[in-house]
Amino acid sequence: MVSITTDPIDVASIYQAVQSVHAGGIVLFAGTVRNRSQGRRVNALEYSAYIPMAEKLMAAIEEQMRAQWPLHHVVLVHRVGMLALGEVAIVTAVAAAHRKEAFEACRFGIDRIKAEVPIWKKEHFEDGQEWVVGRDDADTPMT
Amino acid sequence: MITVNVKLFGPLKDILHADEVKVNVSPPYNGEAAFNALAEMYPELRAWKSSVRLAVNLEYTSFDRTLTSGDEISFIPPVSGG
Repeated sequence: MVSITTDPIDVASIYQAVQSVHAGGIVLFAGTVRNRSQGRRVNALEYSAYIPMAEKLMAAIEEQMRAQWPLHHVVLVHRVGMLALGEVAIVTAVAAAHRKEAFEACRFGIDRIKAEVPIWKKEHFEDGQEWVVGRDDADTPMT
Repeated sequence: MITVNVKLFGPLKDILHADEVKVNVSPPYNGEAAFNALAEMYPELRAWKSSVRLAVNLEYTSFDRTLTSGDEISFIPPVSGG
């Protein structure tokens, strides 16, 4: 299940959604809004997306995850709009029989989303705003 | 001459002050010709040519991809989700 949402992400309900008696391991990654970036104090992050393309690519990433690892459940959700410090911007959650595939698939999911999916963040500082583009911490595209 | 709809996001949206713009594309009717036509109208875009990726009808593709009138295209700035 993949989605882009403007609503706050409810991590507990995503955990519930991936739970299964067949799963021996659940790995859930939550990306949250940090208060500093490159030495400056961040007030908020604003995310925007090319929503239909982003959802299509996230669905393709879920397919790649399921093709590569035996997974019971996958949830990939990204929030857009203005997010306050500490709020959850993204969750990638997987349930699998064992921890190894759960960790690997979850890591693959978040890494591919960060590298491929057309979503952008704008940092809001005390004294201005800046789009985050081409930072060193960004992953390189696969294609 | 063909016309395509260009969707704009992130820093490119701020440069053009628009979500979407129609662009007339001359031969060879491909992604590069569309970018050049847009950069003709908005010279600030030229600096982005080497870093954007082309998407046509919601899929990444190469700049030499041939376009058809009515295609929805976008020049995707480096992404920063997550």
